[in-house]
Amino acid sequence: MKKTSFHFLRVGLAITFLWIGVLIFKNPEAWGGYLQPWAAGLLPIPLAQAMIGTAILDIAIGVFLLFDFLPWLAALVGAIHILIVLAVSGITDITVRDIGLLVAALALMIDSLPQDKRC
Amino acid sequence: MTSYALLFTLSAIGISETVYLIRTRIASEKPVCPIGGGCALVLTSKYNKIFIVPNDILGLLFYVAASFISAFLVIGVGPLVLWDFILKLSVVFGTILSLFFTYLQWRVIHAWCFWCLMSAFTIWFMGAIILVSSLI
Repeated sequence: MKKTSFHFLRVGLAITFLWIGVLIFKNPEAWGGYLQPWAAGLLPIPLAQAMIGTAILDIAIGVFLLFDFLPWLAALVGAIHILIVLAVSGITDITVRDIGLLVAALALMIDSLPQDKRC
Repeated sequence: MTSYALLFTLSAIGISETVYLIRTRIASEKPVCPIGGGCALVLTSKYNKIFIVPNDILGLLFYVAASFISAFLVIGVGPLVLWDFILKLSVVFGTILSLFFTYLQWRVIHAWCFWCLMSAFTIWFMGAIILVSSLI
């Protein structure tokens, strides 16, 4: 990937993760409503607390991406996070957007892998 | 909330710009200069710091503070009136400072720095958003 396009993708994804984190902080219970009942039943802690944890993770991923600090790790964690979101929220009208974010995170991770970790 | 979302987004863009400038300065590298070609000249001029603090550090502090305040205002972490006032005041101050730095590039240094102009336009856009949102 060209350097400029990499940075556009990195900053764009960073803003997405940061803003979603902020919105979850604003109303964790409402965001918890996206969880499928079977997934919510598996939680060992109250739903609101789990969503606050999700918000912290989202913001951490966003900060790492924005500061260009270990972007491959942030993108990897972001991709796994989105995969889990896809699994526990089921297929909805906005699933396609999550798929786009997932592939963007994967592209960013592949492109920013340290040289010694590349195939 | 829309205006805070835009302010948060612009702050995040500002953070990425200033982090890039700080990194290149610390590594003693020349920044990529897509337009103008005078980035190195402007960034190494005697106007590149206020007292002893480099402008890129001041910019980063401003953008980080603006992003935190925008987030606090959205989440509802008080004191909301004070946060709102501080955000508006800092953007007004930043707008005036950016005008001064743009004047320096135009009339004093006679060179244009892409990153400095991008930061200036980011702050001016933030000012415009605050202005428009307070009018409607």
